[in-house]
Amino acid sequence: MTRRTALVASPGVVPASDERILTLAVTLAVVLPLFSFFVLPLVAILSKSLATSDGIGFGNYLRIIGTRRFADLVINSVVMSGLASLITVALAFVFAYATQRCRLPGRELLTLIAMLPLFAPSLVQAQGLVLLLGRNGLLNRQFGFGIDIYGFWGVVIANVLYAFPFALLILAAALAVGDSRLYESARVMGAKPWRMFRTITLPGARYGLAAAFFVAFSLIMTDFGNAVVIGGDFNVLATEVYNQVIGQANFELGAVIGVVLLMPAILAQFVETRLSTRQVQAVSAQSRPLDIRPELVRDTAFGIVAFLIAGLILLVIGTVFFASFVRLWPYNMSFTVRHYAFDVQNGLAPLWTSIAVAFMAAILGTAMTSLAAIVVQKFPSRSTGLIVLLSLMSSAVPGMVLGLGYVLAFNNPANPLNPLYGTLVLIPILIVYYMHAQGFLITLTSLKQISNSFDEAATTLGASRLRTIMTVTMPLIWPSLVSVGVLFFMRAMVTLSAVIFIISPTTQVAAVSVLQLSDRGAVNQAAAFSVCIMAVVIGALLGLKLLLALCAVRDVRLIR
Amino acid sequence: MRAAVYNLMATGLLAGFLAASPEPAVAQAQSITVYTSYEEDEAAAFLVAAKKDLPDIDVKMLRLSTGDLAARILAESANPQHDVVWGWAVTNMIDPRILALLEPYEPKGIDKVAAQYRDAGKKWFAVTGYMAAFCVNNERLKAKNLPLPTSWEDLLDPRFKGEVVMPNPASSGTGYLQIASIIQQRGEEKGWEYLKGLDKNIAQYIKSGSRPCNVASAGEFAVGASFALRAIKNIAEGFPITMVIPKEGAGNELEANALVAASKKKDAARRFLDWTLSPGAVNAYYDWKEIVTVAGGRMPERFVKAGLPADISSAMFKMDFARAGSERTQIIDRWKKDIER
Repeated sequence: MTRRTALVASPGVVPASDERILTLAVTLAVVLPLFSFFVLPLVAILSKSLATSDGIGFGNYLRIIGTRRFADLVINSVVMSGLASLITVALAFVFAYATQRCRLPGRELLTLIAMLPLFAPSLVQAQGLVLLLGRNGLLNRQFGFGIDIYGFWGVVIANVLYAFPFALLILAAALAVGDSRLYESARVMGAKPWRMFRTITLPGARYGLAAAFFVAFSLIMTDFGNAVVIGGDFNVLATEVYNQVIGQANFELGAVIGVVLLMPAILAQFVETRLSTRQVQAVSAQSRPLDIRPELVRDTAFGIVAFLIAGLILLVIGTVFFASFVRLWPYNMSFTVRHYAFDVQNGLAPLWTSIAVAFMAAILGTAMTSLAAIVVQKFPSRSTGLIVLLSLMSSAVPGMVLGLGYVLAFNNPANPLNPLYGTLVLIPILIVYYMHAQGFLITLTSLKQISNSFDEAATTLGASRLRTIMTVTMPLIWPSLVSVGVLFFMRAMVTLSAVIFIISPTTQVAAVSVLQLSDRGAVNQAAAFSVCIMAVVIGALLGLKLLLALCAVRDVRLIR
Repeated sequence: MRAAVYNLMATGLLAGFLAASPEPAVAQAQSITVYTSYEEDEAAAFLVAAKKDLPDIDVKMLRLSTGDLAARILAESANPQHDVVWGWAVTNMIDPRILALLEPYEPKGIDKVAAQYRDAGKKWFAVTGYMAAFCVNNERLKAKNLPLPTSWEDLLDPRFKGEVVMPNPASSGTGYLQIASIIQQRGEEKGWEYLKGLDKNIAQYIKSGSRPCNVASAGEFAVGASFALRAIKNIAEGFPITMVIPKEGAGNELEANALVAASKKKDAARRFLDWTLSPGAVNAYYDWKEIVTVAGGRMPERFVKAGLPADISSAMFKMDFARAGSERTQIIDRWKKDIER
């Protein structure tokens, strides 16, 4: 990013020192909150990893890292996450290609279905898989298949389902834009579709593919919910953190593994830097938007695959939906609505709290992550690399680790932000910094696809960088900002492992209610509560669509 | 138009933050925060009773599972946010890091609690507890043509291979109390020998204490080693399961109450702790818990119907809680080395 082409010298409308002050100001606006709400909590918990009975040192690391079990856990984690991420990215790419580059009926519906896994706590989806594929699940019960879902493959399937929407968001953003002139020239020169795909589409989506893989890998590597429900005795690093921290109140060893889990993110940072320098800008000043013409064979082939994927997702979510209306799964399948009379503490109140949290997270999250992406892309400075690293690292931090870090950091009276502790505001902040990488990558991916020539033209014409951003960049990327807001809204409704440590008696959230219900074996009620959460998210999406329509804005896909 | 939208967004954000900021101090100063690990529905019922008997105290309750609560209390230890710990596993309570946060207090009526159910140092007292039990799925038992197991010993039968699930003691308190009771019953050597034999039949070590019963109730496995109350509640829900109290004597755990040393509202906190021994509380406990350490109530009908013996003490193994607490790290380390997969 620091190797970008030098900007054309400003003709002096804006003095250079003002530009420098602006750069400093926006950089600080990104870096300060990142330090307060991400680095500080992380340092608070990671410093625990160095605390041993005989002072500060690497004793905890030595105790763990040499062991046979640790080696097994690393291999399990890496192999499972790698395989699940590859499958996720491959499926998401095909799906994104189908919705963005083919002429298909019901594209909006397809995308909505693909996003459904984001709308419910992952706990419930894993539960849905068990209801469907478990030893006493629907398939085994009805058809007597000998399927045993527990173990490696169960975790892989559950995680593909979990990470698919995230990968799709990034890949759809990457494939949504393109320059139709390139394809036309290629066609005129007689290139076959496969060659065009290899030489135009793939290079254009390279950054998106890498970003999608990285996000999927980090999400899967740090998730413990799926492994706990469906993994059986298949253990990974994230479940070991859970064992150490929750099972044995051993923060020190838990923190050590937390540090190990950060490694992929740091590695990805190097890959990202290398890739982004070679990213082809898909849109330039002369670009013409893609014009996708019907093509029977391509559309049919991709259509079938996309509908198949959507069908499988729908099957799992549908099972959860179905279970919420069944008297006693799987013994008494008669219809009932009694599970919607929630007898969990405070009833539905946590759902309203979550909605407030989700709105705050959507606004804060969009502001902070897009500001970070704009600063990285448009205000290069010596701290650019640091911002990218911190922005991406969030996705490699297990929610549990970050949540406990928040307790340690903000419950400390010496911290000037201590008054935030125990208030509702801290919850959206935690969610924003927990999901920072995903929002950041969506904006960054769309920013990277806009040619520098726009900036150069604007600068030549005498516009300041701020003006260029407001009048050139923003109008081009604001649809992705909306989808970032939608992403934060959705995640805030369902995030569990991070927030469970900072909820207080007055700030209970919906995902925790689902956990409480599931803990006490009320599977049907947990499903019903999840259905309510899904209904809220879908309702919010429709509401936003209506609002945009009222503002006469069309053609913005909320979930892209 | 755009400016209007921005304004709208800014107003919304501001409103959200204002609404979310902490409520101004209520005139009624008697507000205490209580952390508990009582199961969700129990805690809710007890809280109703507490609010009825203590109308002038605003009890704010946070319910988390035993392990989550341990992590939370330790993470907050520099600046504790709670005044009272209520109904939390004794084996967690006697962790020296936790004991250091507590203040000795002898509530009114403490004489009603037998000495083995309270701390010699007066830092905690237990009014309730829970015990281990198997949840056995009748349907699956029949389909697999298996006999009803009545003891831990029965679970060694090779026919149960792949049909038994139990909690992972490294992550679940229920799991730990099960293996601690087995080791105390059989002695060090025989106990470990048994656990290794049992391991051959275990399908999964599940990371929570209630989940083994829940998956057995769902028919995923025939036998789930869990705790009695979970079994009783699942039977009441209508699941086709039988509760089995292992013949060797069920391992058990106490749920203790304590006063937090850093509390700034100790008067109200002490009154709440007094209340936990009052007839109002004890009545509520008897309604929900199989183990209540003070006299004054009767076991509800649904417990008996689910198969709990009327004289509960005969079914329980007399645990040495101090030993279970002090050996915890050592036993779990050995379990992880020898048995964990």
